[in-house]
Amino acid sequence: MIELLQITKKFPNQTTPAVDLLSLSIPAGEICVLVGPSGCGKSTTLRMINRMIEPTSGIIKINGEDVKNTNSDQLRMGIGYVIQQIGLLPHRTIAENIAIVPRLYKWPKDKIKKRVEELIVMMGLDLEKTWGKYPSQLSGGQMQRVGVARAMAVDPPIMLMDEPFGAVDPIARTHLQDEFLRLQKEIKKTIVFVTHDINEAIKMGDKIAIFDAGKLVQFGTPEEILTNPINDFVENFIGHDRVVKKLNLFHVEEAMQPVGCMVRENELHSAAVKMKAVGAEVAFLLNETGKTYGHITLTDFKDCQDNIESLRKMVQRTKKAFVQTSTSLPDALSLLLEYDVDYLGILKGEKLLGMLSFKDIRKHVYRKEGD
Amino acid sequence: MTWENFRFALFEKAPGALQEHSLIVLITITLAILISVPLGVFLTRPKFKRFGMVTLNLLNVLQAIPGLAIIALALPILGLGMKPAVLALLFQSLLPIVRNTIAGLLGVSPDVKEAASGMGMSQRRILIEVEIPLALPIILSGIRTATVYVVSMGTLAALIGAGGFGNLIMGGLSLFRPEYLIVGAGLGAIMAIFLDRVLGYVEYRITPPGMWIE
Repeated sequence: MIELLQITKKFPNQTTPAVDLLSLSIPAGEICVLVGPSGCGKSTTLRMINRMIEPTSGIIKINGEDVKNTNSDQLRMGIGYVIQQIGLLPHRTIAENIAIVPRLYKWPKDKIKKRVEELIVMMGLDLEKTWGKYPSQLSGGQMQRVGVARAMAVDPPIMLMDEPFGAVDPIARTHLQDEFLRLQKEIKKTIVFVTHDINEAIKMGDKIAIFDAGKLVQFGTPEEILTNPINDFVENFIGHDRVVKKLNLFHVEEAMQPVGCMVRENELHSAAVKMKAVGAEVAFLLNETGKTYGHITLTDFKDCQDNIESLRKMVQRTKKAFVQTSTSLPDALSLLLEYDVDYLGILKGEKLLGMLSFKDIRKHVYRKEGD
Repeated sequence: MTWENFRFALFEKAPGALQEHSLIVLITITLAILISVPLGVFLTRPKFKRFGMVTLNLLNVLQAIPGLAIIALALPILGLGMKPAVLALLFQSLLPIVRNTIAGLLGVSPDVKEAASGMGMSQRRILIEVEIPLALPIILSGIRTATVYVVSMGTLAALIGAGGFGNLIMGGLSLFRPEYLIVGAGLGAIMAIFLDRVLGYVEYRITPPGMWIE
């Protein structure tokens, strides 16, 4: 756990402090994102945690211990540090770059070698090809992976990341974010993550701290911040599409409703009767093997005037309208629009677990909003 | 111009002159490196950075003083021979090395230094393992410039009895023997070019691989 108590940092020749009486407590094992416009003091705050910058006043404690009690080099060796510019040593190979901190700890050679290999593989890089290369021979995304691997070399419990994915292209960034989140589920480090991108903050953060002009404006989970922005600044910073952004926090399985009616393929003509009997708007169809392959709604029956051929065509149209439970709500919404259907079948593997309509999404967001 | 004079200059006089000249160059450059590189390092440390401009200007002035004047000034104190010669040449060779050391060290990317320090490398370690290796090619190119200077200016050392190729040139002038002149000046030029090439090669070899592979 990292605690910042009444931290102020005033740089010489500046009238207003870069960080102004900031108090913040960062829980262990979570990603805490510091986010805000440029010059809001988020990077300064991050750099004070490992004493790259010394605060003018205030106390920073890591697990109850004042950071000032530790020699700054020793302190930094024990904290992973990733910066946007990566800062790989250009005259050292990738393996040597990753080995820097283990070497500072004077690990035996074979232990370093084993750890470096493990990290290169963990970062999804090709061991044989990457090992002996120099940083200038790698792509931006690969360099960033090496930067993260280097910071994790001695498995430090805390990592500080200053816009770590800021310098790579959007596709590589999404990829790196996803991988890092998956990795974090296993390694459960305490991570302080700085970004100016609110979308990245919502995606990466267990907690988000929004900064403005050296002050902490709001601190909470992404959901809390999206649901109840504390003031106009936060609301503007999140943007007018905050409800759409909020969809990112949910997966389809949370918003879906159970399937009310299932009919066999050969019972298609009588589906309307069955639906009316159970009070359902929609029926999912099963083929002979029991696999769901589409759906039909009462409105379809009305439109087709019970003509079985046009009904079949309607069902064919919905063949693709299935998603897995782990799909995010924005993706589901997009697919609803793309396939031009009213319902999506929600699958777990092959099994139909539920269904999702526009109404379900609206209801889900509305319910959350009201909480 | 006779072949006999030419032969005498080349085979009887030149070997000794080469030896003396090489010794002067070697001593001067070694001293210059020992003074200039640490000086350059000091002047890039945050504590001493403010002395950078003053020192460089001072060295500029030193370099601007003609070598002959320094020899004349040093003569009463250091007497004749190699000592005043080395001193004069030293003054000429400090500037390029100090300037390049400073340029090389300041040229190391701040991101690399930031990352190194953020990982817990001490300032000393960063200097030795990061800054100097990365600045080395530029420092070496300063040493190369200084070496070529010293080789050519070294001919003046003969004026105060330090020997070297200057002896042949002076001798050729006073005895009206152009053969001596050609041999002295020619060998001096060849030595300068040779050392320049050798140091150029060393510079290329010493450049960390990661920095020339694009």
